[in-house]
Amino acid sequence: MCERLKIELNAKLSELRTLPGPVEQFGEAYNLGLKMNFVINLALEELITNTVIHGQFDNLGQPRIYIDLRVENQTVFLVVESDGRPFDPTQDTHPDTTSELDSRPIGGLGLHLVKSQADRISYAYINDRNRLQLEYDIVPE
Amino acid sequence: MDIEVLEERVETTLVLLPVSRLDSANARAFEGIVMDHVRAGELNIIVDFSRLIFISSSGMRVLLIAAKQIQAKQGKLALSDMHPNIREIFAISGFDQIISIYDSRAEALAA
Repeated sequence: MCERLKIELNAKLSELRTLPGPVEQFGEAYNLGLKMNFVINLALEELITNTVIHGQFDNLGQPRIYIDLRVENQTVFLVVESDGRPFDPTQDTHPDTTSELDSRPIGGLGLHLVKSQADRISYAYINDRNRLQLEYDIVPE
Repeated sequence: MDIEVLEERVETTLVLLPVSRLDSANARAFEGIVMDHVRAGELNIIVDFSRLIFISSSGMRVLLIAAKQIQAKQGKLALSDMHPNIREIFAISGFDQIISIYDSRAEALAA
């Protein structure tokens, strides 16, 4: 059984499709279930898309994203690090999820979904990288 | 990146079935397909999720845009056959309060 899943990729949307396969294999190894697999895939998709579209990389050349997934004590730890200027997603404001259809703003939902599904979330900026740690308690399906 | 979208017609209703994943890689392609139908005058559209295993906010955004435009033309966009994992994020986002979601396509057609 793999102890942890570590993946590095370029900060490009085209790299996102390389992730579901390894994440699914990791989930099967730990018997995490379909729900957890979906939640992890959604978090990776939203966080990486957000980084690629909104990240400020200055003159970094090809910025990178670093994923580290592990299970400890019935908790899934998902750490996503990215090059670039500091951006703390935990400080993002709560989007409008209540107004009527014709006045509902478009966008801003991705981080809200990620934060809503995580049991704990923490952010730090370390060694010129944004580091976001998400924790998910494993609940038997 | 492209997306496969199956299309079926039931009387005046157009049923769209996106296949596999709807995410930031192919949301723009899906938006093009849906909005072409809206511009062509389709007023009753059901998006049947039975072939979809994953959707992200990029895909949900397209459905919100389509729902707004169809409502502005006095039409209706309905969604059906969602996997519970997908249904949950529609609830978290509050989309289930502004877009009609049915357990089955038959219920969506009967509504």
